[in-house]
Amino acid sequence: MTTTNWTEKYRPTYFIDIRGQELAVEKIKEFIRKFRKGEKAIILHGPSGTGKTAMAYVAAKEIHSELFELNASDLRNSQKLREILSPATKQKSLTKKGKIILVDEVDGISEVDRGGVTELIRLIESTSHPIIITANDIWGKKFSELRKKAELVQLKEIDYRTIKNVMIEILRKERKFIDNDILTNIAIRAKGDLRAAINDLQTAASLEDPSQILFDERNKEMDIFTALRLIFKGKPDKSTLRLFDSINMPIDQILLWIEENIPAEYQGEELAKAYDMLSKVDIFKRRIYRQQYWRFLVYENALLSYGVSSAKTNEKTGFTSYKKPTRILKIWLNNRRIEKKKSIAKKYARYVHVGEKRALREFPTIKQFLIKPEVQKELRLSEEEVEYLNKIEQ
Amino acid sequence: MVSEIWTEKYRPSKFPGIVGQDDIIKKIESLTNSLNIPHLLFTGPAGTGKSTLALIIVKELFEKNWKDNYLELNASDERGINVIRDKVKNFARTKSLGNIPFKIIFLDEADALTPEAQQALRRTMENYSATCRFILSCNYSSKIIDPIQSRCAIFRFKLLEKKDIEKVIKKIEEGERLQINPEAIEMLYEGSEGDCRRVINLLQSTASISPVINTELISTIISSAKPKDIRVVLDYALSGDFQKSREKLLDIMLKESISGQDVIKAVQKEIWNLPVEPDIKVKLTEKTGETEFRIVEGSDPFIQLQSLIASFVLAGLGR
Repeated sequence: MTTTNWTEKYRPTYFIDIRGQELAVEKIKEFIRKFRKGEKAIILHGPSGTGKTAMAYVAAKEIHSELFELNASDLRNSQKLREILSPATKQKSLTKKGKIILVDEVDGISEVDRGGVTELIRLIESTSHPIIITANDIWGKKFSELRKKAELVQLKEIDYRTIKNVMIEILRKERKFIDNDILTNIAIRAKGDLRAAINDLQTAASLEDPSQILFDERNKEMDIFTALRLIFKGKPDKSTLRLFDSINMPIDQILLWIEENIPAEYQGEELAKAYDMLSKVDIFKRRIYRQQYWRFLVYENALLSYGVSSAKTNEKTGFTSYKKPTRILKIWLNNRRIEKKKSIAKKYARYVHVGEKRALREFPTIKQFLIKPEVQKELRLSEEEVEYLNKIEQ
Repeated sequence: MVSEIWTEKYRPSKFPGIVGQDDIIKKIESLTNSLNIPHLLFTGPAGTGKSTLALIIVKELFEKNWKDNYLELNASDERGINVIRDKVKNFARTKSLGNIPFKIIFLDEADALTPEAQQALRRTMENYSATCRFILSCNYSSKIIDPIQSRCAIFRFKLLEKKDIEKVIKKIEEGERLQINPEAIEMLYEGSEGDCRRVINLLQSTASISPVINTELISTIISSAKPKDIRVVLDYALSGDFQKSREKLLDIMLKESISGQDVIKAVQKEIWNLPVEPDIKVKLTEKTGETEFRIVEGSDPFIQLQSLIASFVLAGLGR
C-alpha cells in the first residue's frame, strides 16, 4: 500500500539531504545564522523542482523553528496579510519556538495586485523573523523594489546524474527495480526538475511496463510550454520551423494554444502581425481540407511557427505563464446553457423548412411571436420550452 | 389548418406565387410538366425562394401523395454524411407512390458539407439515381465540388429587388389587416436585405406589438435583434485592451448564436460611428472586407475575427 507521494515521502529533512545545490545551501545557512531584525530577506529563485520550498522547510527544521507559510493568495489581500502576519512578526510565538516565514511562489502575484508586493516589503522591514521567499522568476519589473530588500540566491537546474542517483536511492528504499536506461531517460527528460523526475519514477514503478512512462501526458504539455516560449520569446531561426515535430500534439491543437497566448506576449503592431499569420494559417487549413492537398501543411506549419515568431521586433525576456486554450470549453458550456433555446429552434426549423442554425440566428426576431400560445401550440412546444420563452420575455 | 407563422401562411403553393425569379420559374415549370426532372442545384442568397420552389415542385408532381415521396434534409444540421446516407437509404428503399417513378430528396445547405462528404454524397446520388432525384440547395455554388455540379441542372437565384419585397409586404398587409405607411415599407425593405423570410419575420414580430406599423416600431425590433454590444468589443480594442475585446466578442457570439458573418456585418456598419480619423475608417473598412473574404475562404471565423480586432487595436494607436 504505497499511496503516499514519493515527492512527499522523500522530502529532505536536513541540509545534508539536499542534493545538487551545495552553494545555495551554504548561503541559506549563513542567512539564518546571521539574521537580525531589519536585515534583508532571502529570495530563492530558479526553475521548478530544484528544491526552493524544500530548502525553506529544512532551514526551519535545522534551527528547530516553526515554519509559517504564506501563499500568493494571502499576499493579494493586504488586509488579510496584516491579520495573519502581524501577530507572527511582532509577538513572540506562543510555544516560544522561533519562526521562519515562507512566502512561496511570489511570482504568483499578478500585475494588478502590486499592493501585495508593497505589503511584503513593509513586512521585511518590520519583522523580527527571517523571511524566505521563493520564485520561479524574480526579474520582472514588479519585483524591482523587492529585489533591493532581499539577498538573491539562485538554484540551478539539477544535474541529471544527481537526479539519477536520487532515484536509485529511492528505488532501493522502496525495494523496486527499474531498468537503468529508463532511469537515465527519465532523469534527462526532467530537465533539472527533481520533483518531476520523482513523480515520473513513482508512476513508472507502478506500471507493468515502466518504459511506458516515456510517453506520458504531462510531458506533452511541458513541451507545448517550451515551444510557446521559444516561439514568442526567441528569434526565429531554422530550428523554429521544426519545433512542432517534437511536440506530440496535433497542429490544430497547437494553433489553439498559440491563439490563446499571443496577447500575453505581443502588443500593437506585433499583435496584429501575429494574428494575420494565424488568419493565413486558417486559410491554408481550409484549403487542405477542401482540396485534400496535404502539401499545404508545410505553409500552415511555417507560418504558425516561424511566422508568429517573426511578428515581434525584439526578443522577449522574463517569465510568462501561458494559459490553456479556453475557447472550446466555453463553447461547450454555452451549448449546455442554451439547450432549451436549441430544442425550440429545432422544432421551429423543421416546421418552416430552414436549418437549425439559421433558426437560432433568427431567434431574437422570431421570439416576438413565439410567445403567442397559438404558435406554441402549432409547434407543439413542451411545457419546459414554453416556460423558457416566458422567462426570457420578462 | 392555416398556420399562425406567417412565413408558412404566406409561403406560395403555386409557381406564379414566387416573386423575383421569373426565368427560373418558367424553366422549372416546363420541366415539372414533363413529369420528369433531372437532379437540380439551387444556388443563391437566403430567403429567395429555393426551399419554396422545391416544395412546389413536389406538390405539383405528386399532388396528394407528396409527403410520402419527399424527404427534406439540412446538411448543416445532420451529424455527418453517414447520417445523411442512412436516411437517404431508408427513404429510397421503398418505391414511390403514384405515377411518378422516382422520389425527391431535398438537401438544404449542401455547401455545409465538406468536400469528402460531398464525394460520398455524389456516390449516393449515383446509387439511387433510378429511384431518386436530388434537389440540392446552397448559398455559394463555388463550395460544391465539380462532379456534383456537373450532374445537376444549376439554377441561380437572385437577391430580391425592392419591388418584389414590396409585393410581399402588400400581400401580408392586406391579409392581416395591417396599416403600414410608406416610410415603414422603406424601412422594412432596408431591414430585409433582399431576404423574403427575414422581411416576413420582421413584419410578424412588429405586428405582434401593434397592427399599426411605423418606423419607430420596426427599428425597435430590428435593433433588438441585432448583435448587441459589438460597439463595446470595438471600444475595448480601440483602447488597446485586446484580451477584453476578444472575450466580449466570444461571449456575444455564443450567447446570441450569431455567425462570424453576422459580426462582420455589424462591425462594418459601426465603423462610421467610431471616434477615429476618416483615413483610418477607410483602412478599417478595407480590413473588414478582407476579413469577410477570409472567413468565407477559411475554416475558423473566430481566428479571422481576432485578426480584425487586432487591427482595431492598431487603429486606436492612430495607425
